[in-house]
Amino acid sequence: MLTVRDIKKYYGSHKVLDGVSLRVEQKKITYIFGTSGGGKSTLLKILIGALRPDSGEVCFGDTVLTGLTDRQLDPFRKRIGMLFQHGALLNSMTVGENVALPISEHTTLDDSIIKIMVKMKLDLVGLRDFEDLYPGQISGGMQKRVALARALALDPEVVFFDEPTSGLDPIVASVITKLIADLNRLLGITCVVVTHAVEEAMKIADKIVILYMGKVLAEGSPPREYGPGCSAVHYRQSRRPDLISCDEQGLPGRPAGGVDIWSEPTVSALNGNTVALVQKAPCHKRCTWNIVEPKYAPVFFFWCHSLSSW
Amino acid sequence: MKTIFGYIGRALITFLQELSSIYYLFLETVAQSIVLFTDRKKLRQARLLEHIDEIGARSLLLVLAVSVLLGIALTVLVSFQLKELGALSYIPGFVAVAVFREMGPLITALIIAGRVGAAFTARIGTMKVSEEILALETMAINPVRFLVVHRFIGLIVSLPALTILADFTALIGGFLFGSLRLGIPADTYLRETLDVLMFKDLYSGIVKAVVYSVVIVMVGCYRGLAVDGGAEDVGRSTMLSVVSSTLAIIVFDTVMTAAFYG
Repeated sequence: MLTVRDIKKYYGSHKVLDGVSLRVEQKKITYIFGTSGGGKSTLLKILIGALRPDSGEVCFGDTVLTGLTDRQLDPFRKRIGMLFQHGALLNSMTVGENVALPISEHTTLDDSIIKIMVKMKLDLVGLRDFEDLYPGQISGGMQKRVALARALALDPEVVFFDEPTSGLDPIVASVITKLIADLNRLLGITCVVVTHAVEEAMKIADKIVILYMGKVLAEGSPPREYGPGCSAVHYRQSRRPDLISCDEQGLPGRPAGGVDIWSEPTVSALNGNTVALVQKAPCHKRCTWNIVEPKYAPVFFFWCHSLSSW
Repeated sequence: MKTIFGYIGRALITFLQELSSIYYLFLETVAQSIVLFTDRKKLRQARLLEHIDEIGARSLLLVLAVSVLLGIALTVLVSFQLKELGALSYIPGFVAVAVFREMGPLITALIIAGRVGAAFTARIGTMKVSEEILALETMAINPVRFLVVHRFIGLIVSLPALTILADFTALIGGFLFGSLRLGIPADTYLRETLDVLMFKDLYSGIVKAVVYSVVIVMVGCYRGLAVDGGAEDVGRSTMLSVVSSTLAIIVFDTVMTAAFYG
């Protein structure tokens, strides 16, 4: 649905994104992880058309978005929703007016119908009867839910989430995560989530992309389908074809012919950049990781450690 | 020496870049104003009367207070010299011309630049920092139409009206001081004032006020939209907004006064 090809972005001489490519599948939840300063927010801004990349392209379906003017991007923007990190609600407007804004701007519907739609959208995020309050009068978690209702106002095909659970207590964070899952499963909305919250992602993500130093370090599916006790990620080493073979049975436990990356010799080998790639670890088809940037493989292990512990 | 030229060159380039950005903002604002007036629903949503009230009516008391004091101050200053010459009857004409041609529009514009222009920058700058403007763009809502146009129309309506009121209030201030303190008969004061004033004095003030309102809105909104950082940058931009619009108002004032009366 959304394809990113070889995106590069510089801020002055600082390279923020360095040849990022990825695909967002329709009706799936894609999580983008990364360290602070890894280029996640820049990538998200490029995806929504708020920033232009220095090279590369972003395609929405068959339409190439990069190079379009703001006015030409408007039809695309009406098909997406965006939940900002801090909600970005207009403080001078009530909750109801905030949610009504995109509807009243882009439709010719009567005010009474817009009011009903606003009620429905707020109901969807569990905020009935909050229309007349101002954003300053509700909590941070509620503000995010209002922002989500606003993002859903025009029934978008894709919703982008910028750190939706940051700054929220675990209970509210899980409510937001459940909302994302419900949007995807009940309404078929494609979700792209940028976050640090590994725990939340592991529960609902269909695909995970890990950004590091402006590059896609790895992408794959969350290992939640692993059997208990299996915490290994397997790789094949390009210069050592004898290590390619893995146990075809895969689960549970570690493969007989594969390599456990957590063992010391393997990690040191990886630090020596002898790993070319990990491509669809054959030990278990449901857990496929593709290390795009082998030189950052040790960082990937760190992530894997976080991922596999869930 | 190279450093000095480098500094001047960079400052000049920045100035020209900002000038061109303000020019494009002005063109976009005019275009979006036309769009607004062709769409009845959006025009209703823009709540122009509320903005005129916010910008104009709520500045009225301040403008009137300053104007009456301005009229008194001008009368005091002029009377100091003319009393010596025994030419007190010239005071009304002098005060009227000074107020209508120069002081009324200028002082009113400077008050509004400080009160309203700075508020525009702070408000829009804060919205920029909290990603509200990015949110508008993501919703395919033109930020210029949403944030600038109603302020533009509001000030273009309000400032000339405030200027006219300020002019007459300053005259009243001068009249009160002239008749009560200096002993100029009321009918003489009025006759002298009306003899000197021309219709051109009134409309030149209105033209000036319209130009100043464009300057205040464009500089104030541009500075807000150009905020690129946190709260510190909002403060810096607000300060720059007041300084830039004050300077621009005085430059335009000089040019227009020379054009009308030079």
